[in-house]
Amino acid sequence: MKQFAERMGTLGLIACGVIAVVVLGALFAPLIAPYDPTIGSVTQRYQGMSFEHLFGTDQAGRDIFSRLLWGARSSLTGPLIVVAVTAVFGTLIALTAVWWGGIVDSFLSRVLDLLFAFPNLLLAMLAIAVFGPSLTTAALALSVAYIPYSARVVRSMAMRERNLPYIRSPELQGIPGIVITARHLLPNVAPLIVTGATINFGFAMIELAALSFLGLGVQPPAADWGLMVSSGQQSLLNGYPAESVLAGLSIVITVAAFGYVGERLGGRAAAGRKA
Amino acid sequence: MTFILRRLAALIGVLIASSFLVFSAMYAAPGSPENFLVQGRTVSPEVLEAIRAQYSLDDPFLVRFWNWLTNVLHGDFGRSLANQQDVGDLLAARLPTTLMLVTLAALIIIVLGVGLGILAGTRGGIVDKIILLGSNLGFAVPTFFAALILMSIFSVGLGWFPVFGSGDGFIDRVWHLTLPAFALALPSSAVVARITRTSIREERDSEHSVMARARGVAERLVMRRHVIRNSMLPVSTIVGVHIAGLIAGSFVVEYAFTLDGIGTLLVHAVQRKDFAVVQAIAIVLVAAFGIINLLVDLFYASIDPRVKVETNR
Amino acid sequence: MLNIDNLSLTIGPDLQILREVSLAVAAGEAVGLVGESGSGKSMTLRSILHIEPEGSQVTGTITFDGVDVRSLSGEALRRMRANDVSMIAQNPHAVLNPVLPVERYLIEGMHDAQGQPTKTAKLRAGELLEQVGIDAVDRVLRSYPHQLSGGMLQRVVIAGAIAGRPRLMLADEPTTALDVTTQAEVMAILDECRHELGMAMLFVTHDLDLAAAVCDRIAVMKDGEIVEIGLPVQLRDNPQHPYTRALMESRPAGLAWTPEGGPTS
Repeated sequence: MKQFAERMGTLGLIACGVIAVVVLGALFAPLIAPYDPTIGSVTQRYQGMSFEHLFGTDQAGRDIFSRLLWGARSSLTGPLIVVAVTAVFGTLIALTAVWWGGIVDSFLSRVLDLLFAFPNLLLAMLAIAVFGPSLTTAALALSVAYIPYSARVVRSMAMRERNLPYIRSPELQGIPGIVITARHLLPNVAPLIVTGATINFGFAMIELAALSFLGLGVQPPAADWGLMVSSGQQSLLNGYPAESVLAGLSIVITVAAFGYVGERLGGRAAAGRKA
Repeated sequence: MTFILRRLAALIGVLIASSFLVFSAMYAAPGSPENFLVQGRTVSPEVLEAIRAQYSLDDPFLVRFWNWLTNVLHGDFGRSLANQQDVGDLLAARLPTTLMLVTLAALIIIVLGVGLGILAGTRGGIVDKIILLGSNLGFAVPTFFAALILMSIFSVGLGWFPVFGSGDGFIDRVWHLTLPAFALALPSSAVVARITRTSIREERDSEHSVMARARGVAERLVMRRHVIRNSMLPVSTIVGVHIAGLIAGSFVVEYAFTLDGIGTLLVHAVQRKDFAVVQAIAIVLVAAFGIINLLVDLFYASIDPRVKVETNR
Repeated sequence: MLNIDNLSLTIGPDLQILREVSLAVAAGEAVGLVGESGSGKSMTLRSILHIEPEGSQVTGTITFDGVDVRSLSGEALRRMRANDVSMIAQNPHAVLNPVLPVERYLIEGMHDAQGQPTKTAKLRAGELLEQVGIDAVDRVLRSYPHQLSGGMLQRVVIAGAIAGRPRLMLADEPTTALDVTTQAEVMAILDECRHELGMAMLFVTHDLDLAAAVCDRIAVMKDGEIVEIGLPVQLRDNPQHPYTRALMESRPAGLAWTPEGGPTS
């Protein structure tokens, strides 16, 4: 614990705090949120900040604070799906490629190269074109786009370990590959996977929010930060900035926090991104 | 030279494979195209028959793919299901806006991102701290949010720039596309600035820079010839990756500013399941993405003598 | 000519690298600085040229021809580095900028640092390479560092180091990173150039035999301190400090060396 604190530094601990607040807010949204996030009243449109409405209300008279809290749920679950699916499949593909090597490795590499040829958002939009807009489709499609990044890093790390004596000798003793992989290779690449997931969480949040902004992710009237930036656009230009700005800032702060923590854990290289 | 040919061959392979992928995905999509065409109206089986014949919907899958691919190679991307327009014409009409937006954003990344990174890396102190903080926050700003904020401050608030639209003529276009380009370039510039700074820091203490100082070479020259020059090697790759990434980012910014570029066209086509348009744009974008990445690698090989282009990959 | 007096160097709050090092090098004299890695030999050399790592605190004085080197800055420091004192570092592949051809390295030293006209520098670059025993001068000049072997590149560095006819040469393990086969050659060239130009040399090495072969006096360094200074023969026959004795005994047996006469075996 102390080691972790040292690694994070002051800013890193603040970032962890931010993440904790957001996660708790999302978990306990039904308890904390004073209003229903989807129901507003026409008489309550564009209220300013007050005790009744902490951050005011939007153009439909819905409480912005409540919407932010509920919005944290979809804004967090989306990226969570992405990094979980990415980590599982990326690792699976990488370890399969490394263990079998040869033809399996080169075939899997080709498939990953093919996925690399698509910009992330394009791949997601193609999937949405086929299966229709929803958070699940967007998140799963984005996972597919992220898998090559994760697989590439895990593969190169596992490749280095593959020929070390502690892997080789049980292999010569005839212990099955899947056992060695699970017992020895996996624990060694695990920290890398966690760091990669932390960094990718931020990227996924931005890209999913972008899809929601384009009307291809979370669908109204549900509360979602990306969607709120979009639905508050007209109000913003008419001089009521609260909805868009607060939702946008929530994204910025959360992504920056995840980015900083990931950076402290080991950096972008672990996410398989050159940048 | 063989390196370039090999990379081109690989690119063509990837293009064919991804065309196949895209085409089969659209083919397998739930909901049939003729239902889309008749838009929920009840029509007689004869009319449906005619529509299916018109769009060759009854041919076997591979035949349709082959016809589509050969047509694309002849520059014929088919017709939009939504408004019957020729997809090639649609693309051609939308391309200039997107190209210009991406070019402007690329320039901003190079000038602002690399420039601020060099400033932070060489100056240190408070300048460094401010730029570092800015880049830590900047990379987290979604382009669409940056778009809205810039729009509300500089277009609506101050009235310096137009709110929507792409403009006509070169100067007017640049004027219309300035804010979108800044919004698009912001996160990338932040990342590029930070990486440039790190790279400068590393090169500043590199043995060849230190020894150049020890030989009596003036600091200004050491900076220019050893530190900045060499730190640009890794930076150029990063800049390239980010410029290629602008292609996808441009969809969002175009949509936010309602620019009539490829991105807006794609978003609308996806919303309306206009597969002919989606397919065409996907292929064009994958090609552009691949070509930019190839150019970046070639550029890198040309500035770093250690990269032997013949043996690379 | 060179006088180091009570030189101490600390990095950060409490990492002491050098403790009160005092050492003198007379004009034309070769002094060996021997010790194991991490003993502070290189840092002593680097402090002379003001290229110790950032964040080091240095106390004590270093004078060159009576001028306090540590107080020099700007143009005066630059001139001293360019004209009076040269340095040869351990790994030539790190010393040359990897993206510039060898010719640019030599011209940089002569033109940009010493102020010779580019034309002269270009002409002299070839001559200098011949002087350090390189035959394929044109090919080497056009090569990039990664295309040359360490031995070849270290000759280039030596050529660059003697270009300004400095009076003091600082050599930091100049052959350690090289192939065993080229070590003796490069050392011989360095020794020859030194004698030809009458340069003084401060020679850092972990190899007591090598130091004995090329140096007039030897200083033994341990944990940032100089524990013993003496003539090579004195160190061999009558080592005073236990550490020197240990160094003498750890040498491979059967190797003999003569104080005056270059490396023999």
